Amino acid sequence: MKFTIDRYQKILIFIIAAYCAFVGFVNPAFFSITTVFDIIRTSSTSLIFAIGLLVVMISGGIDVSFMAIALFGSYTTINIMIAYGIDNLAFAVGLSIIFGAVLGLINASLINWLKLPPFIITLGTQNLFHGIMTTFVSDKSFGAGVLPPCLNQFGRATLFQIQTGSGTIGLSASILPVVFVALATWGLINFTMIGRGIVAVGNDEESARRIGFSPARIRYYVYVWSGILAGLTGIVYVAQINALYPNKLIGGELPIVAAVVIGGAKITGGDGKVFGAILGVLLIYLLNSTLILIGLSSSWNDLFIGSVLVASIATSSYQERIRNRKNLIFTD
Amino acid sequence: MEPILNVKNITKAFSGVRVLKNVSLTVNRGEIHCLVGENGCGKSTLVKCVSGVYTPDEGEIVLNGQRFTKLTTQQAIQNGVQVIYQDMSLFRHMSVAENIAIEKIRAKGARLINWKDVAGIAAEQTRKINVKIDLEKEIFECPIAIRQLTAICRALAHDAKILVMDEPTTALTKNEVSQLLTIVQELKSQGMSIIFISHKLDEVFSVADVITVIRNGEKIGDYNRAEINEKRLSELMTGREIDYPRYRRDFTENTPLLEVKGLSRKGHFNDISFTLRKGDIVGMIGLLGSGRSEIAMSLFGLNPIDSGEIFVSGEKVSIAAPQDAKRRGIALLPEDRFREGLFTDLKIKENVSSTVIDEISPRGCLDFSEEDRLAEKCIETFKVRAPSRETVVRSLSGGNQQKIVIGKWVETKPNIFIMDSPTVGIDIGSKAEIYEQIHNFAKNGMAFLLISDEVEEILANCNRVLILEKGRIKTILEAQDLRQPDAKKLILEEIGSRDLQPDTEPSTK
Ligand SMILES: Nc1ncnc2c1ncn2[C@@H]1O[C@H](COP(=O)(O)OP(=O)(O)OP(=O)(O)O)[C@@H](O)[C@H]1O
Ligand SMILES: [Mg+2]
Repeated sequence: MKFTIDRYQKILIFIIAAYCAFVGFVNPAFFSITTVFDIIRTSSTSLIFAIGLLVVMISGGIDVSFMAIALFGSYTTINIMIAYGIDNLAFAVGLSIIFGAVLGLINASLINWLKLPPFIITLGTQNLFHGIMTTFVSDKSFGAGVLPPCLNQFGRATLFQIQTGSGTIGLSASILPVVFVALATWGLINFTMIGRGIVAVGNDEESARRIGFSPARIRYYVYVWSGILAGLTGIVYVAQINALYPNKLIGGELPIVAAVVIGGAKITGGDGKVFGAILGVLLIYLLNSTLILIGLSSSWNDLFIGSVLVASIATSSYQERIRNRKNLIFTD
Repeated sequence: MEPILNVKNITKAFSGVRVLKNVSLTVNRGEIHCLVGENGCGKSTLVKCVSGVYTPDEGEIVLNGQRFTKLTTQQAIQNGVQVIYQDMSLFRHMSVAENIAIEKIRAKGARLINWKDVAGIAAEQTRKINVKIDLEKEIFECPIAIRQLTAICRALAHDAKILVMDEPTTALTKNEVSQLLTIVQELKSQGMSIIFISHKLDEVFSVADVITVIRNGEKIGDYNRAEINEKRLSELMTGREIDYPRYRRDFTENTPLLEVKGLSRKGHFNDISFTLRKGDIVGMIGLLGSGRSEIAMSLFGLNPIDSGEIFVSGEKVSIAAPQDAKRRGIALLPEDRFREGLFTDLKIKENVSSTVIDEISPRGCLDFSEEDRLAEKCIETFKVRAPSRETVVRSLSGGNQQKIVIGKWVETKPNIFIMDSPTVGIDIGSKAEIYEQIHNFAKNGMAFLLISDEVEEILANCNRVLILEKGRIKTILEAQDLRQPDAKKLILEEIGSRDLQPDTEPSTK
């Protein structure tokens, strides 16, 4: 399987490019390397979330607990680090990932066991995970001073720096986990049997079972992977804002779901591309962060994202209809 | 003779209804074993027990001498069981190539996918059965015949010991069928055992060594092919004698209801002209690629035409969308019931009422008792085997699903009814009943365009036949031609295919 850019992705790229041109026309300050670096930095956490969610959606499921998992993982991990005076980034990432994996495992187990729609289950576990955290771990906020310094170092680290008119700016190191996660997930989906099993189950669970895949097992992989990515993102997030709150992130699930759908993932499962999800997130971020540049108040946000969402669903279903019509060609 | 599969006293019930009752079956190495029986008698259920999809409530399965009471799909695959499922069981958003190769690669225990292997396996299999398929296309873009070929290729890709084919030929035309049956014979001579299910008795008789008859979930018996004929077999299956009534049109009024002049679409069909009068049942027959389904789609507004004219009751019309067709009293029974004919997750009654939802919703409110009545009527007329009108269509047997499709389109009471392969997968007994219904409607003035691949079906129903080849009308046969004793042979010759002959060599055992 080669990396290909399909028609739908081309449309997205075109929209992004056209919108950028428009913003740049209204406000030439937009065309700067600073903007690019800014978008990369601020969208990095959303990108990882979206890629994790994409895998779940390809498998025919949905997850609205990833924010709670990210918060649980990072908050608990950092509390432990503060309590024991640990200052090690690898430890932070490792432990948070383990928490994420365990919570993902719980999600999958519940879905397999209760046989209820994943939306209901993860809506429940979202509250459950958060509740367990605030009740049994802590519900205090921590400022920059008490956090392990390694986090802030990572949050401010840059891969390289560029001299611009208004000072030096650098490309945030947060792009590293994004690139890693994107490549790993792309490889997982396209080149491993587990990945093809995920696609198979998303297409038709019964048919997947008939050729020997175990849908229950596949769901473990899927939710554990999305849990791991959430755990990782939690740390990246805290490192970026350089503070630890027990109630951040939660409530921000829907824009990510929207981004993945805009990126071309089928809500019914079985189809979705990593690159598409990335484009979806970028588009939403672009809309989010440029409204002020074109002189609109941020209350336009929802309106914009809503319209893009509706338009993208309409486009993809229209394309499917066109393709179905073409099917009438019985001989090629 | 060495048994490779032994099914012992299997019983299986769905929510309390027993669909297999104490069924036993022995399949020997290198044997072609046919399963026949009416729609809903339990053939597919039996197959799914053998492949581990269902766990029988009682009884056991002995595969290669190994006993299983809880066979899993993986164990079945490891023991060389391969199934072409009736619903084909393909993955919509995967390419044809991957659909063909994935099971084989998975069964080898590969953890990684090598896409060159995938392409290689797919190319090899399509070459083996001698068909050309675009391997890169995703399944949902492929017509149903291609999907069926894909499912066949997937099963053949394995070095199976037991190959189960659950109605593998429903979407294929004569030439692919005889190609397939030749392959089946070849596989048999290599020592593979084959369980073959079909409602087309000519296919059964051309390949079977042993025929097992199932009725109502019970096994009636095993018969050697030599000791039984089609007539006796249909009696065993249905418990009565089956006779297809012939249709005679007796209308004196000859003004056309539908007139088609010079219909063309590049790459699909060319210069198609014909008329349908009141009470006409016009047959359309031709091989894969003859353009017959495409014409049907065009008349229903699903396949825009390049040129040509369509007249309905003498008035020139343009049919750009199904709504236009429906408004003119045209109905289409599509070939692909899964994609275009049925809502498989809805109940029987919801499916039946779906085509007439406006008519039975006075003031925008669905009349539930009317919906129930329509559903009951459909179940009654077409003898649908289902627990109740509330049953979800997905859990019906393949043939009974097809009956629902017919029932729901009949409800629209069209003037012109285009039926594309209406009786695929329907048992011989129910066919007779469906034909009778068609004749009744025709006698009341409905006009039919009947696309079919079965010459018997054409002969029993049609008073005129269009034979298509490569998108053109090659021959037109009128009622008097069809009444000739050698009509069947003539049609087969004209469409350019050979009839299935029972192979006369003594079967080697
Ligand atoms: N999953 C299921 N849930 C409930 N009932 C089922 C299920 N599968 C099959 N049945 C019922 O079991 C009976 C036997 O079905 P089966 O599919 O085995 O018939 P069949 O012999 O293959 O018929 P056909 O020739 O129409 O394919 C039918 O009455 C069907 O409604
Ligand atoms: Mg069946």
